[in-house]
Amino acid sequence: MTQSPVVRLQDVTKKIGGRTIIDRISLEVYPGEVFGFLGPNGSGKTTTIRMMVGLMSITSGDILIGGHSIRKEFPQAIRQVGAIVENPELYRYLTGYQNLVHFARMAPGISRSRIDEVVRLVGMESRIHDKVKRYSLGMRQRLGVAQAVLHRPRLLVLDEPTNGLDPAGIRELRDYLRKLAREEGTAVFVSSHLLSEMELMCDRVAILQKGRVVDIRAVRRDSESSEAAPDDVWFDVERPEEALRVLDGLGKGRIEDGRLAVTADRKTVAEINRKLVEAGFSVYGIRVKTKTLEDQFLEVTRGESVG
Amino acid sequence: MADFLRLLQNENMKIYRRVGTWVMYAFIIGIPLVMSLAIISVTPEDPPSNWLFMFIASNILASLIAIFTVVKAADAVAGEFSQGTIKLLLIRPWRRSSILLSKFLAMLLFGLALTAAAFTVTLVVGTAFFGYTASPEDMFSEMGRKNPWGYMLLWYLYQFISAVAVASFAFMMSAAFRSGGLTIGLSIFILLAGGLITNLLSLLDKPIVKYTLFPHLQLTSYLDGGPGPLPQYPMTLGFSLAVLGVHFAVFVAVAWLAFGRRDVA
Repeated sequence: MTQSPVVRLQDVTKKIGGRTIIDRISLEVYPGEVFGFLGPNGSGKTTTIRMMVGLMSITSGDILIGGHSIRKEFPQAIRQVGAIVENPELYRYLTGYQNLVHFARMAPGISRSRIDEVVRLVGMESRIHDKVKRYSLGMRQRLGVAQAVLHRPRLLVLDEPTNGLDPAGIRELRDYLRKLAREEGTAVFVSSHLLSEMELMCDRVAILQKGRVVDIRAVRRDSESSEAAPDDVWFDVERPEEALRVLDGLGKGRIEDGRLAVTADRKTVAEINRKLVEAGFSVYGIRVKTKTLEDQFLEVTRGESVG
Repeated sequence: MADFLRLLQNENMKIYRRVGTWVMYAFIIGIPLVMSLAIISVTPEDPPSNWLFMFIASNILASLIAIFTVVKAADAVAGEFSQGTIKLLLIRPWRRSSILLSKFLAMLLFGLALTAAAFTVTLVVGTAFFGYTASPEDMFSEMGRKNPWGYMLLWYLYQFISAVAVASFAFMMSAAFRSGGLTIGLSIFILLAGGLITNLLSLLDKPIVKYTLFPHLQLTSYLDGGPGPLPQYPMTLGFSLAVLGVHFAVFVAVAWLAFGRRDVA
């Protein structure tokens, strides 16, 4: 990541009526990265997004988009942003197309052919001339994405984008966002409380709790897990306490929830298995205990409700 | 500049793509038609001149125009909030003041278009049903008898100025409270109760009533060289326009301040 970030939050704080809603958040999102903003409901995700797009003032700190401050150089900063804040609320009495024309007029240099291209991109050709009030939530979500990408923003901000989408729609959106990041180098900032969703979509996630970023971590993809890296592994074996003695400290053997657990790479797992079998234990199963983002999330937020 | 015209184009699209707007136009066109048919069926032997008809019909339409313009002014900002579209509208490379200006101008243009439509329809319908008279003897006003064109044009101009004053109040409320219902309610209250409040204030026998908004909404009382809306306090048209101007400036300033800074939640 030697590139300069598309968006940089610097000690962003929001106080409303003496109460600190957002507490000194700092993070950066880089070109081509899908960045997840994860937190329980009420943790401040939407407030942070509102500050990023200039709908809310920032009490202290600053947000720079492409180097321009959203508070001091609003037009230059926001020009590079496309966003859906909360639900994609569009003009219901206009058609989808008229909505897109409306927002295209507000940004420089968007041609009719670009509008048509975006309509195809979100797969709405057949319904784009219907009034928005006749759209399903999923179609409104697509139209919301269309208005957000019209002007080819460097930063795409989506607040709970999978709300109201069916599984196929979610998958489609995920593929589209990853493609946008990969092929156009767009920085995508997505908020969600759906952990599994973020795990599939994001390169990095920040975990927000009570207005503070408690952790920022990379999401490890299955394809990236190396053979040498040790995993937590459970052995399903009879008489685990006795089996533990056979290991003799190999792979930091221990008992977890009455089961034999080790932390070991693939070679060591095989060796442990051989030792157990040679010592006369029946091994019924060996299971890698993958840590999901959910586990990590609950670990960090100490099991607070996820909404 | 060309870019700003596109904002105005958007606001116009949002006004004229709504069914409600065309219902308003239907009233402006329909009322003079129904009125002339009614007059012909009731008194076929003693019809009014086209100018007297225009004057009476325009009096009814003027209140409607004021109400319709207030409704659009109230909807201008509050409507974006109630639909939630304000969030998509404000995240564009425009200052909030420019967006508000485009809405304000679109509202003025809408009122102007309604006024022009009413003038044209009442003139054309009156002439079609009652024939054209160059010097109508049945007009109540001396100027109206001698120079009906000048009289009606001036009358419409004064009504438009009053409508703009009340619509600016509605626009301010819309930007400040972000609630259409409250805005429409209060503005129409001012329109309807304005005369009553003026009468109440004049009972106080204090010249302060001269500086309130309400009496100056009846600018047409200056036509024919009249003393203005408050006979016990003779005023001039210039004075009334100055009072309206100060109110207008305050309304606009409050609207811009309220819309410019506050958080959009």
